[in-house]
Amino acid sequence: METAPGETVLDALLRAGVETPYSCRAGQCQTCMLRATEGKPPEESQIGLTEAQKVQGFFLPCICHPAAPMAIVPPDDAGARKEAAIREIEPLAEDIVRLRIEADNLTYRPGQFLELIAGPDLSRHYSLASHPEEDDFLEMHVRLHPNGRMSGRLRDGLRPGDKLHVAGPRGTCFYEGVDRDQPLTLIGAGTGLAPLYGVLRDALRQGHRGPIRLYHGARSGSGLYLADELQALVKAHGHFDYIPAALNAGGDVAALALEAETSRAAASAFFLCGGDNLVKRLKRDLFMAGASLKAIRADVFTPAAPSV
Amino acid sequence: MSSLYQRLGGENAVNAAVELFYRKVLADGRIARFFDGVDMDQQIAKQKSFLTMAFGGPNNYSGLDMRNAHKRLVEKGLNDSHVDAVLENLSGTLRQLGVAEKEVKEVETLANSVRDDVLGR
Repeated sequence: METAPGETVLDALLRAGVETPYSCRAGQCQTCMLRATEGKPPEESQIGLTEAQKVQGFFLPCICHPAAPMAIVPPDDAGARKEAAIREIEPLAEDIVRLRIEADNLTYRPGQFLELIAGPDLSRHYSLASHPEEDDFLEMHVRLHPNGRMSGRLRDGLRPGDKLHVAGPRGTCFYEGVDRDQPLTLIGAGTGLAPLYGVLRDALRQGHRGPIRLYHGARSGSGLYLADELQALVKAHGHFDYIPAALNAGGDVAALALEAETSRAAASAFFLCGGDNLVKRLKRDLFMAGASLKAIRADVFTPAAPSV
Repeated sequence: MSSLYQRLGGENAVNAAVELFYRKVLADGRIARFFDGVDMDQQIAKQKSFLTMAFGGPNNYSGLDMRNAHKRLVEKGLNDSHVDAVLENLSGTLRQLGVAEKEVKEVETLANSVRDDVLGR
């Protein structure tokens, strides 16, 4: 498709009859946001987007006059499915397993999420705890729900060597774009630790210089998985702190983090991963305490709708 | 004479104001309930559109968009007193950023021009 002289990408799409959402047509409301998978969008078409969005090629077609060809997709497009093979399924905690899979030519940023497809009509999103330069596998942490279909497959069906499919990666919970000198605060609950573990290792690897704090909440102490690995990182890195909080021992991870972080919120970069209520509460309270919304990256973990 | 938008500092001024303004709105007990449960990232983009319009900047705001966007809120009881509260927070934001009174008044007038659309009248 060609844009006419002076025409924006949005105008060209609409002229061609492509149904794509839009509203302000002035580069502000971000309703029309798309992503370039090939070619670089002009800088001025990325005004107002977060650093994480910019590096992934997101842009606003209503203010985009492309200088070179681009391949563009809707913002939530996961791309083609790839085949993957299971390498390992091991317990991490009472009701959490570590799933390691192998897939060829899958590039990702630590902390992004994949769609895991285990059969027709059975797919879930899981965040990546692995690091592409440190691990030769993709690692996800999966909470096993008593009646969950994917949980059942992982518990009783799938074995190392079995094939499944993945799509993605997607998501903006990754380190790239954070200022190395600013405080970096990671807050998560349950398997929300997975992306944070990826982000943390990436930050350390990329030489983050500001203080790093990781708050991890679980319903009980046994849910505080990876504690040994995290304690080892605390010993190895003087500027990293790990603050575990078990709810049954009175540790409310959100309250704990907010109390400690409020005074320095305006200068910090935040990563929030966990259930809807936790993420919403933290995002709002940290914003009200002075954190910029652009400095808060968040992924909400929602359980799959019960199957009928 | 340069435009109001230029005098205020253009897009940088909008960026400087938008989070301050959104914080004031969320902290204002008179209107905070209208923002319960909204996605904050989407909301701040809308606030930015609104401020750009109120600053006299480039926009394609339409009355119909404003009506549709606020319809649900009008059903929840949105009225003139709530619009007044938003305008108050807007002026407060500008004064806090050191904007001169003449420009504050101009912004107020522009923002006020969408009142009837917002309230679906």
